[in-house]
Amino acid sequence: MSTNLNGKEIAGKIRRKFPADVKVQKERRLWVEISKAKLPGLCRYVKGLGFEHLSAISVTDLLKAGKYVIAYHLWSYNDKMALTIKTEISRKDPVINSVVTIWGKSAQIHERESHELFGVKFTGNSDLSELFLENWKGPPPFRRDFDWRGYVRKEYYDRENEREKGYWEADA
Amino acid sequence: MTEVVKDYDIPFGPAHPGSGNFSVKLKINGENVTGARADPGYLHRGFEKLMESRTPMQNAVLSDRICIFEPLAWNLVHAEAVDELMGTDVPERAKYIRVIMAELSRIQSHIIWYGAMSIGIGFDTGFKLAFGYRDYILDIFESVTGGRVYPAGYICPGGVRKDLPSGTREKILNVLKKADKMNIIEKLENPILLSRMQGVGVLKLKDAIRLGATGPVLRASGMKTDVRLDDPYEVYDQFDFEVPTLKEGDAYSRYVIGIREIEQSMKIVKQALDELPDGKVREPSLKPELSVKIPSGEVYIRNEIARGEAGMYMVGDGTGKPYRCKIRGPSLLHMIPALEHLLVGSQIADVPTIYWSLNPCPADMDR
Repeated sequence: MSTNLNGKEIAGKIRRKFPADVKVQKERRLWVEISKAKLPGLCRYVKGLGFEHLSAISVTDLLKAGKYVIAYHLWSYNDKMALTIKTEISRKDPVINSVVTIWGKSAQIHERESHELFGVKFTGNSDLSELFLENWKGPPPFRRDFDWRGYVRKEYYDRENEREKGYWEADA
Repeated sequence: MTEVVKDYDIPFGPAHPGSGNFSVKLKINGENVTGARADPGYLHRGFEKLMESRTPMQNAVLSDRICIFEPLAWNLVHAEAVDELMGTDVPERAKYIRVIMAELSRIQSHIIWYGAMSIGIGFDTGFKLAFGYRDYILDIFESVTGGRVYPAGYICPGGVRKDLPSGTREKILNVLKKADKMNIIEKLENPILLSRMQGVGVLKLKDAIRLGATGPVLRASGMKTDVRLDDPYEVYDQFDFEVPTLKEGDAYSRYVIGIREIEQSMKIVKQALDELPDGKVREPSLKPELSVKIPSGEVYIRNEIARGEAGMYMVGDGTGKPYRCKIRGPSLLHMIPALEHLLVGSQIADVPTIYWSLNPCPADMDR
């Protein structure tokens, strides 16, 4: 076992190597913001530092700014530290490099989910097939501008049906 | 005359008695599983999206449903995310009550695990035994939260919904005594379980990390890790408990980890009951706050629930509703990559054993 590093030491290491915005939020919580181009290099570097566990990948839809924020939530078993790497990509053309070669199968599933629900394309991920949905034809359903109430009303409620008419009137 | 049946497909679930609302498509050659493809989505309710259009109090109730087997644990994850974003100073007594409820929730969830695993290997007595004992714990949930299975957001932002009713301490201690008896019975049945589970579904430590396994599954493969210990939340750093670890990584060691964790959780509950401080249980008052504003900011919450690591990434934007809420359930990675990995090369009769040894919950996988 190597000696354990604290948040400030890890932040310093990342700052020295990458032009990234590193924040120590509190004990055991590090946040890093980096450009899309530098992301694969940083991911490979922090994996080497001991961030072996990719806890989740999340996408935040910044509708007004026209951007997606992709966040990689990592955990180091050795240093007992949570690190979140954030990067922004364009919402119109959401393409980003896959991290499957770095974190393997766990990254593959998280990317598959993000692709399905937000429409983000991960270059290098060979299996971005449907995960939860089946024969989905509409826009990616977790985008901020997807009107799920309207969708449910249109798909499942009959305007002519006396008992279901209320749903149309209440939300109109 | 003898004809070998080769290369056929069997769907395990979604209508298999042992699968839950989940399906895995198996490719079979004779008795051997040669391919497995998980097919989730039967319980996809879109909670992450639903939470964006609801207030924290409504989301506290919604968070019950993330996992059917341990709603209180998910209540806690959600409440912590909102508390941290809002900077709420949760009263000390509420923190202890949260821990007591979360640990009881872990005990009953592990008991279900034992029951489900028993039925998975065709040992029906174990199933009935487990669900019988679980009901005693549900009695406590009913008297404390008002709901036997779903607590309707008992652990809510700011603390807990109401204080423990009088006599709860005695009730809990009585139930723990009863659950202890279950441990004795489990030890008696051990030889039966052993023959069906030992050496089945071996997950090596390297693979476990690569496939994103957490919690009991990872600990059974030899990694000593527990969010309660490594990244303490609430008041877990006040208690004395052990993190059981085994090296074998087979279905049997995962089962043993579950049983040992029940003992450790009992230990935590007893300590928390002894040290339970007096005072308020909710900040600022017991009345539900209907017009809170979640300040701008972001948090990532990690909790150790019965199945492994639970996470919640919440982004606030200064309105009354969370802007984004990402839920990380442990079962997603246990049931897709880990399960597929373990099933390939196994025997068809071992499929339910492997499946249940991962302690899966389709609800927290699909969300």
